[in-house]
Amino acid sequence: METESNMNGGVGKEVGVANKQSIRWREFGLRFLAFVLTLVAAIVLGVSKQNELVPVQLVPTLPPINVPASAKWLHMSAFVYFVVVNAIACAYAVMSLVLSLSNRGRTNGLSLTVTLLDLIVVALLYSGVGAAAAIGLIGYKGNSHVRWNKVCNVFVKFCGQVAAAIAISLVGSILFLLLVLFALLNLHKSRHH
Amino acid sequence: MATEPKKVGAPEEDPVAEPEKAVPPPATRPTDYFKVADVVLRVLVFSSALVSVVVMSTSKQTEMVPIPVPPYQALRPAKFNHSPALIYFVAALSVAGFFSIITTLGSLYSLTKPAGCSAKIISHFIVIDVLLLGIVASATGAAASVAYIGLKGNTHVRWGKVCSMYGKFCRYLGASIGVSLFASVMLVLLVLLSVYSLSKKIPK
Repeated sequence: METESNMNGGVGKEVGVANKQSIRWREFGLRFLAFVLTLVAAIVLGVSKQNELVPVQLVPTLPPINVPASAKWLHMSAFVYFVVVNAIACAYAVMSLVLSLSNRGRTNGLSLTVTLLDLIVVALLYSGVGAAAAIGLIGYKGNSHVRWNKVCNVFVKFCGQVAAAIAISLVGSILFLLLVLFALLNLHKSRHH
Repeated sequence: MATEPKKVGAPEEDPVAEPEKAVPPPATRPTDYFKVADVVLRVLVFSSALVSVVVMSTSKQTEMVPIPVPPYQALRPAKFNHSPALIYFVAALSVAGFFSIITTLGSLYSLTKPAGCSAKIISHFIVIDVLLLGIVASATGAAASVAYIGLKGNTHVRWGKVCSMYGKFCRYLGASIGVSLFASVMLVLLVLLSVYSLSKKIPK
């Protein structure tokens, strides 16, 4: 089924129906990829947990005491926001996949609604990526002006997982952005034909 | 300050544009409303980006704060460029303001030329709008997450709260983030308006 439609899209550039088919399959592929990426990003950050022994010096004359500490995504509100936003985007990707398949590539109120929801998801995903990246940067570098110490020298694995989740979610949000852009360019093209 | 004439200027566009468009037959009138709304939204995006950049960059506050070494109190400033997230915020909103000036001028031009000669330019403007939405949303998220840590602190990683010492700084930060949130909502409306007006023009 998929190879057939790809063949149609490749051969029939002039034929309107085949062109519409290829546009539909491109949208389908983008939505499916975006679904997978946001799901993976939410899971990667959602399962991240690391327990470490942190040396804490209570009295300057005594040797430091090792205190067990854990790093979890639930401890940081920006990471909670990131996971929630990625879960929303993932659920919405499935919903919009069904909607756009049932809509059969027509331009009507439903496709406009899907584009509006796409836009909102783009804004949510980008703000989530920005929030998680800002907090991750403080964790990585620290901030000497307000004496926020870096954490990534202790929780190396946790920081790696956070960075991976941010990168995956960034790719997913770029895919949603491309979906909006393709919808706009299709509208623009069909206006001129 | 500087945005006041802009904001006053935006409603003035409407009465100038309306009588001109009232002469052609009413079939073309809805598109004219779209164009006027387009210009107004772009001016709103520009003014809110400018306001949030100005508020953020004037948020410096110097206070006596406790320090661990002997005098135990010192004058320490709080500035936006102490945090990379806030620097990104200012840079991103400056870019958004700059591009919204360009797109406002272009869309004013297409308002005065009713022939619609610049359809290709308008489609480029929509691409710019979508990209700006991504930039402004990520900047708002980054600045808001840092400001939230500053407001509440985080006991798990022992990051102390900052807003108990720098009250004015935090109020400015909050205002600036709120205005940039407004700018991103306006950008969503702008893209939605373009999608809607494009889909209205498709011959059935």
